[in-house]
Amino acid sequence: MRDVYVGGIGITTFTRLEYPLSEIAAYPAMMALKDAGIRDVDHLYVANMGSARVNHQTALASAVVDSLSLTPAGAAVIENGPASGASALKAGFAAVASGLHDVVLVSGAERMREVNNLEATDFVATLTHPLAEYIYGVTLPSHAAMFTRLYMEKYGLTERHLAMVAVKNQNNAMLNEFAHLHQPITIEGILDSPEAMTNNPYVAEPLRFFDACPVSDGGAAVILVSDDVAKTIDRPLIRLAGVGQATDTHAVHEREEPTDLLAVRRAAAQSFEMAGLRPEDVDVAELHDAFTILEIVESEEVGFFPKGEGHVALEKGETAIDGSLPINPSGGLKGKGHPVGATGVAQAHEIVTQLRGEAGDRQVDGPQVGFTCNFGGFGNNVVCLTFVREGR
Amino acid sequence: MIRDIYAYRCRKCGRLHYPFRMVCKECRQNDFFDFDLVPLPKTGKLLTFTKVYNLPAEFEVPTLGLGIVELENGLRITGQLEVDDPRIGMAVRGEVKPVRKSAYDTFYGMVFRAG
Ligand SMILES: [Zn+2]
Repeated sequence: MRDVYVGGIGITTFTRLEYPLSEIAAYPAMMALKDAGIRDVDHLYVANMGSARVNHQTALASAVVDSLSLTPAGAAVIENGPASGASALKAGFAAVASGLHDVVLVSGAERMREVNNLEATDFVATLTHPLAEYIYGVTLPSHAAMFTRLYMEKYGLTERHLAMVAVKNQNNAMLNEFAHLHQPITIEGILDSPEAMTNNPYVAEPLRFFDACPVSDGGAAVILVSDDVAKTIDRPLIRLAGVGQATDTHAVHEREEPTDLLAVRRAAAQSFEMAGLRPEDVDVAELHDAFTILEIVESEEVGFFPKGEGHVALEKGETAIDGSLPINPSGGLKGKGHPVGATGVAQAHEIVTQLRGEAGDRQVDGPQVGFTCNFGGFGNNVVCLTFVREGR
Repeated sequence: MIRDIYAYRCRKCGRLHYPFRMVCKECRQNDFFDFDLVPLPKTGKLLTFTKVYNLPAEFEVPTLGLGIVELENGLRITGQLEVDDPRIGMAVRGEVKPVRKSAYDTFYGMVFRAG
C-alpha cells in the first residue's frame, strides 16, 4: 500500500443552513481545494445518509461533482448511516493507497433541519432493525437510554457523569466558530438547580435533553492524496496512518454482552495496528458522542481507559482540552453538532486542524497523533481513523 | 386469538436466532432457508428498559415504555413495556398486539407486562 496524506480540509458552520444540500456538500469541498492549493481531483466521494428521504434528492455525488466543475472525475455517494463520513474516508484511503487514484476529495454533508426534530429522529431510526426494533418505536435515543441504564447498573456511572460530558463538550464548542451550540451550560443549571427538570427534561429515561446532540445541517471535506502529490502541497504534513472498521449485530438485543461495543473495540484495534501505534500514543481524539454516554464508553472500548473506568478519567479532567488525553476539543457531536453524513469527515477535519496546530483557542498542546471514532447504527458499523503529524 | 413471534432454529446445528437471519451465526453452513420456526416463549425477565418522551408522529401517546427482555429459553427480544414501575430483573409476560400503525399497515409485536 502507498502512504496516504491529507492535502486539504474545509468545513461549514454546523447549524440550520438554508442552502440546497448539494451546496452544503460543495462549499467545504471548495474550501478544501483552496486549502490544498489544487484544482484537479481524480475522484469525489460524498458521504450522506438522508438525501433521498429527507431532501428528495438522489445521486448527490453526480450533482456535486458537476457543481464543482470537476467532471469528468469519478463520483459516488457513500451511505453508511451515521458512519458514512469515515466510511467515505476509508474508500478514499483505499483508492489512494492502492494507486488507483492520486487525489480523492471526500465531502460529507447532511441537511436534516428541512424536517422537524421528530421526523429527523424517525429518519435516523430507520437504520434500526425494521421488524425487531423499528416497529416498536425504537429510536437512537431509546437504544442509548437502554444501554445507559445497564452501564449505570454495572459500572456505577451516574447522571452526573453524563452531565459532565455535556458541560465539557458544550464549553469546548464555545471555542469553535463552526459549532452549532454556543450555549455555555453548568452542572448546576442542567442537574442540580430547581429549574433543572424544566431546563433538562427526560428524552428517554435515564437520558435527558442535554445528553443528546442537536439536529444539525452542515458539511465537511477532506482531500486525500498520494505521497507525490503531498510533496507539492505547502501545508503541514498529516498522514492518515490507520483505518479500521468493524460491524456487529443489527438488532442490539442479540449482542452477547449488552454493555460491550465490540465493533468500536475491533475498529480501533485495527486502526492502531495499521498505524503501528497504541491507544496510549494518542494525543487528541474526536469520539462519536451522539449521546453523552457514548463518549465515555468509546473512550474505554478504543483502549484509552480500562472498561468501566472512562467516567473516572472524565471526573479527573483527563479528557479536558488541557488534560492528558483531550477528547472532543471541537465540542464533539454534542456541542459542534451532528449532520450525520458529515460527522465522520468533520471529526477528521478537527483532528487535522489540531495536528496542524491551527485550532486557535481550543488548541491542544503540540499533538502528534490524533484519532477519530465514527459510530454508525447503535454500534453496528464503526470506523476508526488514526492520523499522524510527520516532520515539516 | 393467540399470536406468536417466531425464533428460527438452524437445521444444521440447532442454534436459535431472533430475529431472522439468512445464515446461522453459529455454524454458517445453511443453504437457502435452513431453519425451523419455533414460537418465542412469552415469559422472561427484564434486562433493561426506558420510557421515551419524543415519539414519531404515528405514536399517539405522550410516552412509550420500551425494554429488552431475556426470555426463559435465553433468547432476547426488544418490545414495548406496559409496566408502571419497571426494575431490572423483574419477571415479565408478553402478549402479541398491535404496536405501530401506519396509513396502510398495522404491525404486531410483543408487549410486556409485569408477571
Ligand atoms: Zn447453525
